Amino acid sequence: MGPDQGRLTMELIGEVVAWFTDPANWTGTNGVPNRLLEHLRLSGASMLVATLIALPAGLAIGHSGRGGLLAVAVANLGRAVPSYALLLVFLPFFGLGDAAAFPALVLLAIPPILVNAYTGLRGVDRDLVEAGRGMGMTELQLLLRVELPAAAPVVVAGLRLAAVAVVATATLAALVAGGGLGRYIADGFGLRREDRLIAGAILVALLALVVERAFTFAERRTLLPGDQRRPSTADLAPPPLQSGLR
Amino acid sequence: MRLFRTVALGATSLALALSACTSGGGSTSGPTTGASTSPSTPPSSEPSGSAGAEPSGSGTAGGPTIASTLVLAGPPECPERPFCLLGLQDTYGLQFKEFRPTDAGGPITVEALKGGDAQVGLLFTSDPAIETNDFVLLEDDKGLQLADNIIPVVRQEILDANPGVADVLNAVMERLTQDELTKLNTAVTVDARDVAEVATEWIEAQNFDAASAGIEGEITVGSTNFYEQEILGEIFAQMLEANGATVERKFQLGNREVVFPALQEGEIDVLAEYAATALEFVNEGAGEATADAADTASILRERLAESDLTALEPAEATDQNGFVVTRETADQYGLSKLSDLAKPAP
Repeated sequence: MGPDQGRLTMELIGEVVAWFTDPANWTGTNGVPNRLLEHLRLSGASMLVATLIALPAGLAIGHSGRGGLLAVAVANLGRAVPSYALLLVFLPFFGLGDAAAFPALVLLAIPPILVNAYTGLRGVDRDLVEAGRGMGMTELQLLLRVELPAAAPVVVAGLRLAAVAVVATATLAALVAGGGLGRYIADGFGLRREDRLIAGAILVALLALVVERAFTFAERRTLLPGDQRRPSTADLAPPPLQSGLR
Repeated sequence: MRLFRTVALGATSLALALSACTSGGGSTSGPTTGASTSPSTPPSSEPSGSAGAEPSGSGTAGGPTIASTLVLAGPPECPERPFCLLGLQDTYGLQFKEFRPTDAGGPITVEALKGGDAQVGLLFTSDPAIETNDFVLLEDDKGLQLADNIIPVVRQEILDANPGVADVLNAVMERLTQDELTKLNTAVTVDARDVAEVATEWIEAQNFDAASAGIEGEITVGSTNFYEQEILGEIFAQMLEANGATVERKFQLGNREVVFPALQEGEIDVLAEYAATALEFVNEGAGEATADAADTASILRERLAESDLTALEPAEATDQNGFVVTRETADQYGLSKLSDLAKPAP
């Protein structure tokens, strides 16, 4: 059994390599460029809408410090619902195709963006904010010139987490007749064509890695001078205690 | 300075996403009632079904066929399978407007039909969804699918001792139409009713002749983990009991790979099977099954005889690939069988 399986694995690797080198897999509707574009389109649109919703909300809550615990609790609750379940819930309303996956992906991306924006802003040194206020800055100036620059790495980390999750989860669209790289996985599974299935999985993993690296790079660029590379406070960090509570 | 970089990053991702939106465009069409609940326009994706894609197929008469105006939904492997799209093309000469990959006879295909994203869908012929959604199962009038008619498989020893067993079970097969089987499945899976209760009710409704078979001794009825086979097993059991047998039920035994050996070894005596699938299981995929239930059943009997088993008469009811349309589509185009789809479009 052992050597036999080893031979099978080698065969499979050969098949996957053959899949990638077959020119037919690089052209047309089902070619890698088109599927990649579809995948980026769906992921990008989901990220855009999620960012438009979650970032202003997170910044507002983080700046004012009001309703933070509630927002974080609701956001975390939302993250407990599997995207696959949401996909089937939205299906009757949005119909087949990427349209049903889109709202599920938006809901997937909102929690990390919101929670990190909030946590990042609350983590900004209060003395810094008070100094700005003492200089006569308006609340908007405080947010944009003091809090956001200081909190940027954490905020971007939220975007990174959301983007990686969205890119990986956008494969679900294929289950409801959508496009994207998930097509290879769903079709490969249905046809029992392992080469296609594995090639699809590799492409999705590579894309997720590229997205992750791009956002990590952006995170580094947003560090303030003299600031150490902060541990990416991931997304689940409890909201920092408010100073001067008593 | 730093802010600029943040903004630049934001702008880049915005540009990426915006390009996505502009290339999307149209809102989701379709008569789904809840569509208005989405404030934002979902990104369109695949060439949507309602877009002006020109029908690729034309009928033998030259003009477009009904099929060429309809969208087919089925599992992703359908376009490469002889019992799915390939067979529809070769056997029926059907070319659909579009194929949309959904699932293998599951909820996504059902939703696609209900929402109007597809007009023809591949389900299993005894799927309760056909009953609950008032779908119309198109008759496979050119015999594309292998005959997976319900058929009782029985140990020869039992029949030799009690020939009445064959009469009792064949009487059940005679009444088991496609409609009846689908209703039984619906009662148990959708209405969540007790299997024994559903079986009793069905038997009463059939008004079988009064118990006369005079069966003696013990008979063990088996079933796989599949609800449909369990319902049929329960009906067999109650019918045999009513005719004098002492019945032991061994349901939920696992899959065919477990249940068939149990039958051969005499652990169970009676099992509700599917003619074509059972035949191809026994002959190890020799490809002897056909679309004809009687032919398939007789070959099955020959193959089973080698292990002292036999099969009785096949029912009309099947559980196999079935193409369905909504009642609305059926009425609109006058569809009742698959070959109707090849008629010229109105």
